[in-house]
Amino acid sequence: MKPVDLARKLRREAAFEPAALDRGKAVLMAAIRQEVEPRRRPTIVPQLPYQDIRAALEFLERAFGFHEIPTARLVSAEGVIGHSLVEFGGGVIGIGTQGAHRAVSPMRGGVESQYISVYIDDIDAHYQRALAAGAQIATALREHVSGRTHRAYEALDLEGHRWRFVQLMREVQH
Amino acid sequence: MVNSPSDAQVIGRSLDEPEAFGLIYDRHAATVLRFLGRRVGAEVAEGLIGELFRIAFERRKTFDASRVSALPWLYGIGSNLLMKHRRGEARRLRASARMAAASEAADRRASAGALDARLLFPRVADAIEALPDVEREALLLFAWEDLSYQSVAEALELPIGTVRSRLNRARAHLRELLEPGGEKRVKRR
Repeated sequence: MKPVDLARKLRREAAFEPAALDRGKAVLMAAIRQEVEPRRRPTIVPQLPYQDIRAALEFLERAFGFHEIPTARLVSAEGVIGHSLVEFGGGVIGIGTQGAHRAVSPMRGGVESQYISVYIDDIDAHYQRALAAGAQIATALREHVSGRTHRAYEALDLEGHRWRFVQLMREVQH
Repeated sequence: MVNSPSDAQVIGRSLDEPEAFGLIYDRHAATVLRFLGRRVGAEVAEGLIGELFRIAFERRKTFDASRVSALPWLYGIGSNLLMKHRRGEARRLRASARMAAASEAADRRASAGALDARLLFPRVADAIEALPDVEREALLLFAWEDLSYQSVAEALELPIGTVRSRLNRARAHLRELLEPGGEKRVKRR
């Protein structure tokens, strides 16, 4: 057999997820948008460490509705994600590697040194979404009347980072 | 009837209207994704496809407008990106060799050919791996992607005569490496 024909015998198709092309298009369109109108980033970006960034990104989207910024992902030559950004409303949070910048995932460290409050519009729908995705509910959804009236719940993600979701209630008119 | 604009026209328009570049993705992304997948598997390819088109978008000013199709240019950007994934590529190639050997062996059960295939295909994989980068790239674009010499030349930004000689050298190298005793010359990375 000729060398080129032998080489051809080793050609093998890969099996792609149906959404693979959509994701790629989102990366391109984000780059195009960035050129048209450079994105304004918030002044402060909290950075959270995770042992498994890929799983964290997937969970944060599915459970809480955070969207990864498509152009933000840093991937090593071995295909390991080192860092990315997720956005929600006007907020951006960095999803980084456990141990980098001396930041420790609660899963590794066994302590929570902080929690993050996220203000949302429809907390009932959000609560249901988080429940359905298997988020661990740390504090059940309830109303708080101290200060401005609000409804809130707290959930832990896959690695034990604590998220407080808050919906501010409209002030009652007298 | 309205003729659809060529890739060169679309890219030209995207200099003033960046959104127009989305059409280049719609036309070619599926082909380019399959190319990346054959080389490094689905997972890495899915991560690279957006990156590849982002780079293309950012370099669109340098696209040679005398070329009608953007596809060879996109293959070329892909080939460069794949250089960072040589280890994964080598792994996939070895796995493909095992699978090709197994299916060949099943086809010709109990014949002398079966044993040959088990030995032969891993050696083909090693021989492809051992080729110098430009020769391997030219060979795989030609053999796996069915690109013409002209398209390979555009992808690798080489004169067509150089592509012809690189491919001939790749063929000669493979033939030599597949000869009895040739495996000694295959340097494993």
